[in-house]
Amino acid sequence: MATYRKPVSIINEAGWCGGCGHGVVQRLITECLEELGLQDKAVCVVDIACSYWSLDALDYDAIAGPHGRCAAVATGIKKVRPDSTVYVHAGDGSSYVIGLSETCYTAIRDIPITMIVVNNGIFGMTGGQMNLATTLIGDKTVSSKEGRDADTMGHPVDMLNIIKNLDVEFAARGALYDAKHIDETKRYIKRGFENQMNKKGFSIIEVLSPCPTNWKMTPIQAMEKIKNENEKMFPVGIYTDRGGETV
Amino acid sequence: MNTDYVLMKGNEAIAEGALRAGCRFYAGYPITPQSEILEYMSLNMGKRGGTFIQGENEISSMSMIWGAAAAGARCMSSSSGPGYDLKQEGISYLSSYNLPAVIVYAMRYGLGDGEITAGQDSYWEAVRGGGHGDSRQIVLAPASVNECASLTYEAFDIAEKYRNVVIILSDGAVSQMIEKCNLPEPKEHDIDEFDWVISGKPLGTKKNKVTNLDRTIGYEASDKYVLDKYKTMFENEQRWEEFETDDAELVLVAYGISSRVCKTAVRQARKNGIKLGLLRPVTVWPFPRKAFEKMPESVKGYVTVEMSLSTQMGEDVLLAVKHSKPLYSYLTTYHIPTADGIVDYCNSVIAGDVEPREVI
Repeated sequence: MATYRKPVSIINEAGWCGGCGHGVVQRLITECLEELGLQDKAVCVVDIACSYWSLDALDYDAIAGPHGRCAAVATGIKKVRPDSTVYVHAGDGSSYVIGLSETCYTAIRDIPITMIVVNNGIFGMTGGQMNLATTLIGDKTVSSKEGRDADTMGHPVDMLNIIKNLDVEFAARGALYDAKHIDETKRYIKRGFENQMNKKGFSIIEVLSPCPTNWKMTPIQAMEKIKNENEKMFPVGIYTDRGGETV
Repeated sequence: MNTDYVLMKGNEAIAEGALRAGCRFYAGYPITPQSEILEYMSLNMGKRGGTFIQGENEISSMSMIWGAAAAGARCMSSSSGPGYDLKQEGISYLSSYNLPAVIVYAMRYGLGDGEITAGQDSYWEAVRGGGHGDSRQIVLAPASVNECASLTYEAFDIAEKYRNVVIILSDGAVSQMIEKCNLPEPKEHDIDEFDWVISGKPLGTKKNKVTNLDRTIGYEASDKYVLDKYKTMFENEQRWEEFETDDAELVLVAYGISSRVCKTAVRQARKNGIKLGLLRPVTVWPFPRKAFEKMPESVKGYVTVEMSLSTQMGEDVLLAVKHSKPLYSYLTTYHIPTADGIVDYCNSVIAGDVEPREVI
């Protein structure tokens, strides 16, 4: 029987809602860092949104980037401290909407950081507004009450399909709706940190993640929605891997 | 004699002054009239072992500065007009955790796109600005290429002393003109000098959480820290230069490019028996109120000379003298003032042909 040890990097409780995926992502990040022995070098960059909870929860030096600017903040840190392990834990509003430019240009510069983007299709911290990049057509939010309509609000966009063309080290998407996919996601995140450890380039790992509170669903319904709907628009897998493992 | 003098542009002197102060991180975006700072950094930063990044915009450049400053580097960015507007988010964030950085504002004239030529009409933005919240910055205003280098060099020490942003407030004329410059001694900065940096530290040791200060030490302690800091900066950092003020009846108040012309105007006026003097703020925040407290009894009024459409610095003069003396403003918009123009204006003031200003 396998035994599970709580990562020692987690020293405080975070305030995420029940059923939220951010806590799973934080756990995977800390497990990966500890398994690779990188916990003593870690610098955590969170966004001014739901990932912010991680700032106080972890025993790492940490900084809260201006909303959307995490990749640029991480760039500044990594350039000054090339031997530290700098990672971003941010949402899809931050990384793909207001911070689209920061994310893409950090990828274009191939800055050797590990960027973890939580794709939950919504603006969680501000109360569940539509996410221009990730809310599915027809999904109802407090700012798209009749459901997202492509004619007026445009289509969601698979950012990894764009980023994979920017000559980055690694881009992959995982999901959290079952143990198999959580394991796969962990493998991607670990790969992102290994790349940094081995002085390689920019790694981005997107995670399809539930937001039961703002989706107004039970945690199980939210997991089902990801499996049945979100994953169709945002397929999981490795999008690019300079190391050669592209699927 | 210091033989290390060179002929340089103001912008280049700012950049070289920063490099010699140990600035090893620069991120910025091109905009006239400050682009030579970015260009100089692009060529020379790598040679000093630092990082130059031409940012995709001003906002991301400032965010890179936020990260680099938190990691302990001496860092700088520079901009003008609409570009500087975009920097204000970043300045407020730097203020929120008391991170030191030096930001250069080479003023261009006008609203919106405005002109690419010199102006001093962004005084309010530089002095009152700094983004949202109670954000205050020390603002140094060089009036020569030499000061571009020396004040920028010193700005990094001041920024670290107070853990605060320092603004170098230049203008299109000071930034673009070429003159003799004595360069300061190069020095290096240790990125581990301060205990507030983020660097990646072993588990179980004290970690730094760079975010709003109130979240780390509590609202009460943070409010007190910030207010005490601003008061100390205001008390300790007022700097100015006086020229022929001992017996002056009318005192010109000007900084940057305008102050240089004012010196000529003072000399010219005095040849004709008009007792003109000049008070040149070197810091425009904190505004040198102490200088006004020491002005002689002979002073009957003040004349600000500003390249703006409305009286901007004049408001600070009225506050400094507590409205006890009349204020006049000679405003030249996008034209660099001339000594003749200043003297003529002062003659009109003395003749009673000009109304004192309150606002605008």
